[in-house]
Amino acid sequence: MATLSRPIAKVGGLESTGGSASPSLLTRMRGWLAAWLPAIPLLLLVSTCLIAPVVVLIWQSFTGMGESGLSLDLWFKVLGQHVNQDAIFTSLVLAVGCSTITLVVGAPLAWMISRMLRGSRAFWLGLLNVAANFGGIGLAFAYMATIGTVGMLTLIVQGLGIAFDAPREGSMPALLVAYEYTNIPLFVLLTIPAMSILREDWWEAAQVAAATRLVFWRRIGGPILAPFLAAGWLLIFTWTLGIYGIAYGLAGQSGATAVHLITLQIGSALQSDVLLGPGRAAILAVVLMVFATTSLVLYRTMLRRALRWL
Amino acid sequence: MSGVSLVGVTKMYGHVKALDHVSIDVCEGELLALLGPSGCGKTTLLRCVAGLELPDKGTVEIGTIDVTAVPTRDRPIGMVFQSYALFPNMTVRQNIAFPLEVRHRPRTEVKTRVDELLELVNLTEQANRYPKQISGGQAQRCALGRALAPNPEVLLLDEPLSALDALVRGRLRDEIRRIQQRVGITAIYVTHDQSEAMAIADRVAVMNDGRVEQIAAPADLYDLPATQFSATFVGSRNAVELAVREGRVGIPGSFHIAAPEGSNGHALAFFRPEDVQISRGQTGDGMRARVELKIFLGPTTRLHLVGEDDGRPIAIFGDMASRQARLIEEGETVRVHVDPDHVQAFPILKAGQRGS
Amino acid sequence: MAVNIRRPAARDHGASRLARNLFFGAALFYFCVPMVAVLIYSFSTRWTANVLPDGYTLQWWQATISDHRIQSAFSTSISLATLTALIDIAVVVPAAYWSRVRNARIRPVVEVAAAIPFALPYVVIAFGLMQFSGVVAPQFQGTFPLLVAGHAAIAFPFVYWAVDGAMAAAGIERLSETAEACGASPFQIIRRVVVPNISSGLVTGGLLSFAASFGEFAMAQIIGRGLDTVPLWSAEMIRSYTDTAGSYNRLAVVTLLTFAVLFVLSAVVVYWNRGQTVRLLPGAAATDEGGRR
Repeated sequence: MATLSRPIAKVGGLESTGGSASPSLLTRMRGWLAAWLPAIPLLLLVSTCLIAPVVVLIWQSFTGMGESGLSLDLWFKVLGQHVNQDAIFTSLVLAVGCSTITLVVGAPLAWMISRMLRGSRAFWLGLLNVAANFGGIGLAFAYMATIGTVGMLTLIVQGLGIAFDAPREGSMPALLVAYEYTNIPLFVLLTIPAMSILREDWWEAAQVAAATRLVFWRRIGGPILAPFLAAGWLLIFTWTLGIYGIAYGLAGQSGATAVHLITLQIGSALQSDVLLGPGRAAILAVVLMVFATTSLVLYRTMLRRALRWL
Repeated sequence: MSGVSLVGVTKMYGHVKALDHVSIDVCEGELLALLGPSGCGKTTLLRCVAGLELPDKGTVEIGTIDVTAVPTRDRPIGMVFQSYALFPNMTVRQNIAFPLEVRHRPRTEVKTRVDELLELVNLTEQANRYPKQISGGQAQRCALGRALAPNPEVLLLDEPLSALDALVRGRLRDEIRRIQQRVGITAIYVTHDQSEAMAIADRVAVMNDGRVEQIAAPADLYDLPATQFSATFVGSRNAVELAVREGRVGIPGSFHIAAPEGSNGHALAFFRPEDVQISRGQTGDGMRARVELKIFLGPTTRLHLVGEDDGRPIAIFGDMASRQARLIEEGETVRVHVDPDHVQAFPILKAGQRGS
Repeated sequence: MAVNIRRPAARDHGASRLARNLFFGAALFYFCVPMVAVLIYSFSTRWTANVLPDGYTLQWWQATISDHRIQSAFSTSISLATLTALIDIAVVVPAAYWSRVRNARIRPVVEVAAAIPFALPYVVIAFGLMQFSGVVAPQFQGTFPLLVAGHAAIAFPFVYWAVDGAMAAAGIERLSETAEACGASPFQIIRRVVVPNISSGLVTGGLLSFAASFGEFAMAQIIGRGLDTVPLWSAEMIRSYTDTAGSYNRLAVVTLLTFAVLFVLSAVVVYWNRGQTVRLLPGAAATDEGGRR
């Protein structure tokens, strides 16, 4: 343990030492321990609380509850139900809509904040950080208090004599507005570092080369930032698919008329699904997992592309 | 081609005067170096010519046209940045073609011109590489090609070599000079490196605190710095504080010259190490000085010498040919002469006055 | 290097400045109005028909703050979040340190693991964790320790990114080599060299994981049955369909308190990072360092 900073390559080199079995096994064990010991608590936490649960879910989606043997029966049953198809479709539409709006509003916001002086930058970062962390039930309630059926803004607008019907709490537009409250700040905070990649002297060099601002954005700024923004879009897409608390709070207000979302279906299947039980939840969870993983793989591709010039 | 003339250019940043009534004329086809320490305003001045900064007062003319209010993109300039500022999403070829494409030149013309420039800056082989894939020296040559592409009237270079390592720096410096002379373009070259300025420029403008201290050809600047600042900043010099006696200053036995005007008891004498003559032996003329340290510099060896004047120690550097210096030991006492023709003296300014 | 005092190119024309101010004004409005609405709600007697409430009262604040159930929900949530943050720091720092100075193969493993909570919705992880614990340790279901473990697992990436970033910025490899050359023991190195140099990362990561745990609802609902955290209490209130016995007003008070907690945390984080961004595009380490240079 005394040689902390020995070259890293040596640690892995122990495998090649041949010799008699027992001492080499012991050495190998000790070498392995020395290389991994400090990471073991973290790896334990991750494998029991993240990896094992995922494996169990996938397993259960194929075996069903209590049934024996692998089968796709449950999958056919669940995916055949109209309510589940509806939930998957609505979740995807909501996620695409949400992340697109986020991109359109968030990208210029991130750009402007990244070019601010330190004081106002810190102010906005603080504000966005609060908003990005403010989600779940609290946000659902804040939405109701603001533009719910008897929300403050609703009352003010109606008080001005304008005929305004607030969207029902559990409806798609309501969810969109509420989700954006955390999504836009999240997107801005995630893309500001990328914005600082655009250097001031590129703009200056473009000016010297007789380019207008439009030409600069079309030929230089746009192409460089595009993959970062696409990566941000994918991240928000994934994130939106998985939002539960806000939807739970808002959908509860609209009862049966609320939209169907995958996450809400998982939650309700857990609480009160006599017919298919947690098996349905498991399958919906795996569906969500597939979307999320695909999106994450695309996200990585985008990032690699974003970094190829830098 | 045309020259550049700056008249009374002043630029404030809050309360800091970055440029203080600067007036400079750059002749046609000339390379003028702006030399000074960091924060002296040289880059700001260059950026005023480029239009990236707007002067608060004064005018900038390119040729005979007043461009003070003309936006950067309409000025007939090319510029090379310290950080290269190559567009990372374009290849070398595309970078050089960019200013031509922006100006909507016909495709065939662009191709011919870019090929010509690739040849000029010697990047034909790297034409299809991205900035990430080429070395710093190649990147700066590419930036030079991009700056020259639209045939600008003035080339502006903002510390183009300072991000490069020493070997590449020397080579690229000569190459920039060669290209500038071949194209015959008027150029302004900002640097904080005096040897670079001397090597490349037709004339050097020494700047300090937002003002121009002196404009002169490199050789004149080297021999006869006009101000105390120029004397300290250009070349390595001995700066020795001496008492004024009967209107003269000097080191007894070494030199005496007339005291500078306005000196008040003491004066600062400047002379170069190579103008210090060192002789061995105890007897004869010259100030007696002890050799404290010998530093081998290749062809010459620098001696750190400590002599005495009126009981006060005087420390000076002297250079001598290395072959002779081998005979001198550290700790030995030698005799020191200074050629009075190469000594310049300036009055000592009180603290707070400019120029110290 | 001619480092001039240069302002960011601020040569705006009136129109574009106006557009920008409008844009930021709208953003500010959007982010602040819900808070104002909740604030007014928490002070109002009845508010269903008019632009402003019918009357104002402090009774909800008094009732809420003296409510034992709410007090215990807050204390549960705070201890949950504190434990989560501490556990995350305790497991992440050694792993991150070791991956830098000794075994580089730790890094890809941890980075993949750190992507899981970002990719998989908390509902999914929570449900999986419930099923898994049902298989291996049913006695833990619905208990506080299981929820702590779950929260630690989903919040650890915040700590990892912050700490790893701070280690990169401090050049911890070189510092640790230097300290070793000075004869320091591994324990001394961690305590006197590593920790002081990554303090901003520790604070940032710790506070972010605290915030993540404090506001987390899905996992608390699914595996924390029988517990009473602030989000669980809020969910119960918001689902009490009709506004009876001022449950919405008390929810307003609790929402504001939650908000205040987040606000303080954010202020500290932003202060510690001196106005730099806190979150990174996960997996884009090169981006971040490129930006800093």
